[in-house]
Amino acid sequence: MSGSAAEGECDLTPMLDMVFQLITFFMLVSNFKAAAIDMSLKLPVVGSARPVETKGQEKFLMLNIDKAGDLKVYGVSKDIPNYIAGEAFGVRRANPELGPKDELPVTVVIRADRATPFKLLNVVIKSCQDNGFLKYALRAKDKAE
Amino acid sequence: MSRKKKKHRGGDDVKLNLAAMLDMAFQLLTFFIFTFKPPAVEGQVSLKLPPPQIVATQKADQQAGSNNNNQALAAGVETLTITVTATLGGSIDHMAVGDGGVSTLPQLEQRLKVILQDPVKPFEQVIIQVGPQLRYEALMSVIDVCTRQTFSDGKPLTKISFVEIPEG
Repeated sequence: MSGSAAEGECDLTPMLDMVFQLITFFMLVSNFKAAAIDMSLKLPVVGSARPVETKGQEKFLMLNIDKAGDLKVYGVSKDIPNYIAGEAFGVRRANPELGPKDELPVTVVIRADRATPFKLLNVVIKSCQDNGFLKYALRAKDKAE
Repeated sequence: MSRKKKKHRGGDDVKLNLAAMLDMAFQLLTFFIFTFKPPAVEGQVSLKLPPPQIVATQKADQQAGSNNNNQALAAGVETLTITVTATLGGSIDHMAVGDGGVSTLPQLEQRLKVILQDPVKPFEQVIIQVGPQLRYEALMSVIDVCTRQTFSDGKPLTKISFVEIPEG
């Protein structure tokens, strides 16, 4: 038979402190924007790649392109012309002062697999250019893994 | 000074049951552990890619340079063309700056440095004609060389366009 509650009680306070500290840590380091990044892609290595600046940056459109030329958004394959046209339409609707041929104030971030042939990549770039996206950031690693 | 002494009550008077809070805290902790993905360190090359424009117009039955009376400068003469062809495997086969061939990337860099630093013939942008099979990694190595260049006025080269060389 167990004794009274006071006898076999352990102090949970330090454990609770530690758990809350861990939760705080994970909350601070969790980046839900990273979900837009397809981690399976092997990016090329480019020495002149600059660290990604996020301060004061305008909006961006993240495009993950695998080596078969498929565009993936949050892991789902999309039809390239339709998706980019839809995004451009959304940007124009949010900025009604823009003319039909004006440059869109959005940077297209291209994360393409290092083995993607240019002809497949060019489909994406051309589609973006046709819809008014002119600023690009080509993602790469600055050193080999 | 007199100090008020707090009257301590017996420990078993007020008891907070921490088990529920601990359960919730562990659930939150589990969620954050499972969703935690340390982001890979990535860099980027920023470019302005205007759509490629026609650099010179020519009549259907006219040979280039055949009209000696034409004194007008060709439109788009400030555009430098780099050609990169690909092997079947997708790596760089042959490179050329204008009409002059270059065999390696350091040679390409050297040639670009000479051309772009020349204040007499200023260039504004670069068009890279790319073989359709060229892999992105190989293309990025050429872009890497281009983005390291500066013009004679010190401005970096960021205006680059791509044109696909037709297959066959």
